[in-house]
Amino acid sequence: MPSDHAVAAGAAASRRQNREAALPLRRIGAILGKALAVAFILFWSIGPIAMIAKAAFTPERDIFAVGSLTAWRPTIDNFIVLWTRWGDFFTGLTNSLIVTVGATILAVLVSTLAGFGYSRWRSRFLSGSVFAMIALRLLPPIVTTLPLFPIVNALGLSDTYTVLIILYAAFFVSLGTMVMRTFIDQIPRELDEAAMMDGATQRQIMTRVILPLSAQGMVAVAIFVIVYAWNEFLFAFIFTTKHAKTAPLVMSEMIGSLEGVEWGVLFAATLVQLLPILIFVVLCQRHLIEGLTAGATKG
Amino acid sequence: MAALATGERDSRSALPFVLPALALLAAVILIPAVYVLWLSFQESTFGKAATFVGFANYAKVLGDPYFWRSLGNTVAVVLVVVHVELLLGLAMALLFAGGLPFRKFLIAAVLAPYAVSEVGAVVMWRTLFDPDTGFMTRVLNAIGLPPLEWAVTPSHGLALVALLSIWLHLPFTFIILYAARLAIPKELYEAARIDGANGWQIFRRVTVPLLVPAILVAMLFRYIFAYRLFSEVWLLTQGGPARSTEVVAVYLYLEAFRYNDFGAAAATGWIMVLTSLLLASVYLRKLYREMFARAE
Repeated sequence: MPSDHAVAAGAAASRRQNREAALPLRRIGAILGKALAVAFILFWSIGPIAMIAKAAFTPERDIFAVGSLTAWRPTIDNFIVLWTRWGDFFTGLTNSLIVTVGATILAVLVSTLAGFGYSRWRSRFLSGSVFAMIALRLLPPIVTTLPLFPIVNALGLSDTYTVLIILYAAFFVSLGTMVMRTFIDQIPRELDEAAMMDGATQRQIMTRVILPLSAQGMVAVAIFVIVYAWNEFLFAFIFTTKHAKTAPLVMSEMIGSLEGVEWGVLFAATLVQLLPILIFVVLCQRHLIEGLTAGATKG
Repeated sequence: MAALATGERDSRSALPFVLPALALLAAVILIPAVYVLWLSFQESTFGKAATFVGFANYAKVLGDPYFWRSLGNTVAVVLVVVHVELLLGLAMALLFAGGLPFRKFLIAAVLAPYAVSEVGAVVMWRTLFDPDTGFMTRVLNAIGLPPLEWAVTPSHGLALVALLSIWLHLPFTFIILYAARLAIPKELYEAARIDGANGWQIFRRVTVPLLVPAILVAMLFRYIFAYRLFSEVWLLTQGGPARSTEVVAVYLYLEAFRYNDFGAAAATGWIMVLTSLLLASVYLRKLYREMFARAE
């Protein structure tokens, strides 16, 4: 058997040599293919965003002109019109900010507590309820809007920040809990046990031992909720009409205006709404990737 | 020792920690879902007490050609979106894992659409495909293809919906597959190469089998989320022209909030819940079995 192995290894080695002989052409081909693929990926991912960004700085009448790249005269007119005529949009941005902060705090708090519970204890009830959590995540949000609509009206919560904060947090609690459980599982139990020896209660363990060590997980959960709440459309569309309208909803009204859309202004609004969250996502790249893998593969 | 210590922790003391999460889920998702089930057996509209009608709502929805059209549209879009995403995501994961210059910058670029709202994406893509002046329309024109008449031709409208859904969600699929690819130990590839495997064989015998769990996870999540498709369609075509591009979520919305038929909307909701579970489970089970049969 060992001799067979040696023969096979020898054959492989000679094949490798042949390959190396044919290398230059093949390597050039591979590099070219890679460069093409990268160009395509860049074009696909950033192209639409770049197009909007450029159009936002283009005078309304030139936006749809063909071959306008060389004759491009950047202007901030669209932003000025947006500022003077679409006060609604900036109220919407403020509302989005309030709702995003509220939903993030609520979701992170609740998920961290639950993550601690599910990480440190085992029982039938806990296994059952964690399964229920995952299963509930499969329900389409639009299904729950049906009964919530009259309830929200009856409670006087229609068109308030509260309803959006609760809804956004609720739809991220199960993912948040799975992510937090994964992160808290990595904190050694010996730390809990040492604290217990010193007479700490479970609450003290949570606040003094777990919280300081699970910041990374909390950041991952926060990123999900922030991106979701900042951009969400469906719930804002159904549950807000005037006071609590978020920025995406105001943008949808700009698209829907039958008077003819002011494209330049709409592009400016799109860019203003996108830029802060885009910068945030790019800066938090590493945490976002960690959170996605922790939540998706373990949840 | 560790087992003893966890045993000492009475599982009842976990309740204060998990209850807020469970209460939030129960109030916002579980109880409404159960109420929708009850509602689906009632006749209900504004200003009228609900009356029990058995399966009449289900019969009405299932007898409505618009429902079937919306279901067909949804299934078509979901199948295209999820599979194209998986193919592109896998190709990109392998490309990145093979080593690229400026990797950090490129990943940031790939993640960018994740930050874009559905409304923003609709603004971008309808501009790109504007039938008169859109950049992509000009590109299609240059290679001799007709423009995408997304506001007029139903299949074109759905194609644009699928395209922008893929664009919005590819970052998610890519990250899951890329992380899974990076988790495959280098030694396996070295061993395969020593055994004389070529690139294709390594891909088939090492990469694919080890990525199957991640592919299934990404697929499951994307099936479930793609099936909810609402905003993209609503913002692009509102289900028109003549209700031809409706998807199930839009159909449900119209039944409830335009025609005020809450019973029918509720029945649609439960059909949606059941079919989405079915869609996911049948496919996944089959794929899972196939993959493991091949691995034997």
